[in-house]
Amino acid sequence: MIEYVDTLLPYITTILLISSIYAIFSLGLNLEWGFTGLINFGHVAFLAIGAYTTVMFNMSGFPLFLSVIAGIVLSGFFGLLLGIPTLRLREDYLAIVTIGFSEVLRFILLNEQWLTRGPFGIHGFERPLQDVIPYQHYNTFLLIVYLVILAIIYLSLERLVRSPWGRVLKSIREDEAVPSALGKNVFWYRLQSLMIGSAIAGLAGAMLAFYIMYIEPNTFKPIETFHAWIIIILGGTASNKGTIVGALVFYTFLSVTQFTNRFLPFTAHQMGAFRMIVIGLLLMLLMMYKPEGIFGKKEELALSD
Amino acid sequence: MKMDILSVKNLKKHFGGVKAVDGCSIAIETGTVVGLIGPNGAGKTTVFNLISGFERGVGEIVFKGIRTDNLSPFKIARCGMVRTFQIPRALTKMTVSENLMLAPKSQAGERIWDVWLRPKRVREQERQIREKSRDILEFFEISHLEDEYAGALSGGQKKLLEMARAMMIDPSMMLLDEPFAGVNPTLARKISRYICELCEGGMTFLVIEHDIPAITKISDRIVVMNEGKVMAEGEPEEIKRRRDVLNVYIGGEG
Repeated sequence: MIEYVDTLLPYITTILLISSIYAIFSLGLNLEWGFTGLINFGHVAFLAIGAYTTVMFNMSGFPLFLSVIAGIVLSGFFGLLLGIPTLRLREDYLAIVTIGFSEVLRFILLNEQWLTRGPFGIHGFERPLQDVIPYQHYNTFLLIVYLVILAIIYLSLERLVRSPWGRVLKSIREDEAVPSALGKNVFWYRLQSLMIGSAIAGLAGAMLAFYIMYIEPNTFKPIETFHAWIIIILGGTASNKGTIVGALVFYTFLSVTQFTNRFLPFTAHQMGAFRMIVIGLLLMLLMMYKPEGIFGKKEELALSD
Repeated sequence: MKMDILSVKNLKKHFGGVKAVDGCSIAIETGTVVGLIGPNGAGKTTVFNLISGFERGVGEIVFKGIRTDNLSPFKIARCGMVRTFQIPRALTKMTVSENLMLAPKSQAGERIWDVWLRPKRVREQERQIREKSRDILEFFEISHLEDEYAGALSGGQKKLLEMARAMMIDPSMMLLDEPFAGVNPTLARKISRYICELCEGGMTFLVIEHDIPAITKISDRIVVMNEGKVMAEGEPEEIKRRRDVLNVYIGGEG
């Protein structure tokens, strides 16, 4: 029994860690899509920018805390750069441009080896307080820190979306002609939403790097963006609480099903594909029977009118 | 003599071969109600879109002494011009109260840093805005709908919501696109009275309407459009007597 607990606790810790990182990542996208209606299919780019910037700044001699700040700021800045030419486009074009951006960035990370070490990735970088916290307790320490960060991000976002600022974002999501006719600068609000969402993704990138201790370009494939979309839809679009629960459910599912191939006649590779089939099926059932997601409000369902 | 709050000169807008607006000139005095009538396809709504910046055309538009023909809609709105839409655009997934509270200009809480740095001021302003929204909702007799999602409202109620929302920004001029369509007669009379009251208070209205008796009753002047041009202009009584106007409406040959 004791043995069981000894293996189970670290396992739960890893699930919670990865869920909290991707919950923060998805909260950024939820601000953009759930509250502002921006279809961003390249959200993972900002996870990559956050992770790489933090690690590279730190390795070139900046203190760790400042490096994380740099990662957040640079992600927000790239959000601004991407937003200026694209946020005047229609929503579906924005989707195309953003997914293109995230893939271009991944190929730059792969090919500019002098800067990023390309496909070899970067490892052996510093982690916060690694000399103070004993290695065997490090994940527990990280989890506590990450849960605090998650709580701060969650509460801040809740405050923002309930403010008049959030009200303008929601009105843009509904029908941008209305806020325009009432004197709101729709473009500027979209830009703010994209910048903040991207900066949050940048923070998640730094957190991811500290947890997995190794970053390489293929950690940031487009599928990560779509995982965030699944999480948001699962939890309930425009619900921050739902996004967090969605992340927990999704990564618990991904993680638990890693062991089910012991009971099923699949190879590990087939199991990976099978998991996605199950997720797809579950999403379809969700859309049919509870389209607003776990915590979404039916009246605020952003997928239909 | 009163000043013109809005003057439109030789406005043109073509969609391919269709000349939706083809050299339209209108001048509107401050504090008057001007009715804009004309058959379907005369170009009335396009004129609205051009004046409010939702479409770009050729010609000169001067609002309160400012050239607005090259400004974006939100800047024109900030000059004090607000419009409603022919098909009401309620923000359906927001409550009626949120719809109204969205509107007022320069809210501190719309700036992200003020949400953090001046929470007291934001709260105070929200309280004032909520009070104001309740007064306006009461006027339009839709107080009981305050916490409903706008998507749950009927067509007529959405129309009222849109006007109520426009009132929230204290405009100096309102463009109303068919305010009486789909509204019950009692309420229509009430809206008429409200327009007249606001007008006495100095607000200017340009109103598109097909209900001729209603619009002639509230208007100081009537502008009749046909095929993208102004075909007649004058006092309501004068317009009512014009045979060519009647013919356009009845479908005759003028």
